[in-house]
Amino acid sequence: MTEKAGFRIGAEGVDVDAVAAQVEAAVAEKARRGAYDDPRLARARRADLLDLDSSEDLAAWYLDSLAEAARVDINDFEIHERRARFGRLLVAFKRLIWKMLRFYTYRLWSQQNQVNELLLAALETLERRSREKTADLEARLARLEGGAPPPCPPADE
Amino acid sequence: MPARGRIAFVAPRFAEGDTVGGAEILLRRQAERLAAGGRPVDFLATCARSHVTWANELPAGRRRAGNLDVELFPVDRDRDADAFRRALRAIGRGRWRAEHEQTWLRHGPRSEALCRRLAERASEYERVVVGPCPFALTVRAADVVPDRTVLVPCLHDEPFARLAAVRGMFARVRAVMFNTPAERDLAARLYGGGAPRRFVVGIGMAPFPVDPDAFRARHGLAAPYLIYSGRREPGKGTPLLLTYLAVFRARTGRDIGLVLTGAGPVDAPPDLARHVLDAGVLGEADKHAAMAGALAFCHPSRRESLGIVLLEAWLAGTPALVNGRGAVLREQCRRSRGGLWFRGYAEFEEALLTLADNPALRAALAEAGRRFVLRECAWERVEAALLSALAA
Repeated sequence: MTEKAGFRIGAEGVDVDAVAAQVEAAVAEKARRGAYDDPRLARARRADLLDLDSSEDLAAWYLDSLAEAARVDINDFEIHERRARFGRLLVAFKRLIWKMLRFYTYRLWSQQNQVNELLLAALETLERRSREKTADLEARLARLEGGAPPPCPPADE
Repeated sequence: MPARGRIAFVAPRFAEGDTVGGAEILLRRQAERLAAGGRPVDFLATCARSHVTWANELPAGRRRAGNLDVELFPVDRDRDADAFRRALRAIGRGRWRAEHEQTWLRHGPRSEALCRRLAERASEYERVVVGPCPFALTVRAADVVPDRTVLVPCLHDEPFARLAAVRGMFARVRAVMFNTPAERDLAARLYGGGAPRRFVVGIGMAPFPVDPDAFRARHGLAAPYLIYSGRREPGKGTPLLLTYLAVFRARTGRDIGLVLTGAGPVDAPPDLARHVLDAGVLGEADKHAAMAGALAFCHPSRRESLGIVLLEAWLAGTPALVNGRGAVLREQCRRSRGGLWFRGYAEFEEALLTLADNPALRAALAEAGRRFVLRECAWERVEAALLSALAA
């Protein structure tokens, strides 16, 4: 049996569920560190949305994505400057601007967060109610049909 | 009494040349295997090659293709293709009404001539094998002699599987042949677990020799690449793969390219386009060489009932990376231990980095996948299951 980079490779091959769990754990850790707070991911999310358009998972996926993005981060952040020339000066200038505007943006973003949280809660409630109602209707339909599949409509004119 | 042993296969298209379609290939190979075993087999299909236009491109009539007697029939001309497309769109988006389903049945690609011929010769056939599921022609053909019909649904978890006509067809036919246990489980969820008789058959695959460096050398590919083979269209997830890889390259700075084989347009994002090689429809040997040289075979589709190209990739010695939102491909990877899966961009990025950085892992996945195909897709096993289903 060989072991490399944390993957146990035995006579039966690799335990892919274990590798998948490692992938999920790495994703969770990166998400916690903010590695996916990246505007470039908007493209991927749009592709997901199109891919899931007809799926029953769409609402759950969309609400998860919304929940991840709903709360605007209003904490202080590290200010960088990519330009080497006058870099320190520019960073100091940006910090000054941030200090001056912080009181105002805090107020705006905290209000925005309240709105986002209310909207998210409303959507989650509506989705849950809709899901429960659909499940109830399906159960009633199944009872009425006595477990038999509904008749096929005529296939021909 | 029907003539002992004669089998009719019915499919919307006959898999030949550049007519790309997994279900059609599956049905043809099953028919050929039966014919090779001495069973008289007729293969009935339409004259269409394109599953988009359904134009009658091939000549109607009987001919011999390999060991099969093939008869092609024209697609009905009186269908309203625009109404059909509107219904298709409504159903595809999961928002349809009863009239959409009626339009789908009435104006979908169908052939009265084919169904008439099937009805005329029905007494000669011991069994009629029809598939795949989401076609008006399949629903019609399954109604000709349902008590002798064996359905090969190639079922996907999609709105079409929830149509009343499809549900009714499942209830009426004599037996159903699934491609994987996951597909059988999906049918149990959708239609209940009772009748008709259900079998997991699938497709037989034979090993082939392959040179992993040949394709790479011929096309001057220096960077590692992912490969996808098959139809390039939204339903197969190719736009998702192109977008994910473009984002992956931008975020990680890793130089991983993409090779696509098969038919259909490739609309790559501008920042990815020069890293994509569209090899088009290749011969089997070239396709297998392209697969063998890849870092991994990526199947981005959520809606597969088998994934023949995935099995081919494993035989070519390449690990898989599949869309985990689809139960069939994810379960294929889990059962075989031949691949990883992703359920969103973040997992795609992490799984691809894992594969790219671990050659030993890639080799172990590929070897497990190959062993799985040689075991599960051995023609002897598949043929035994096929004969059991037909005898049921």
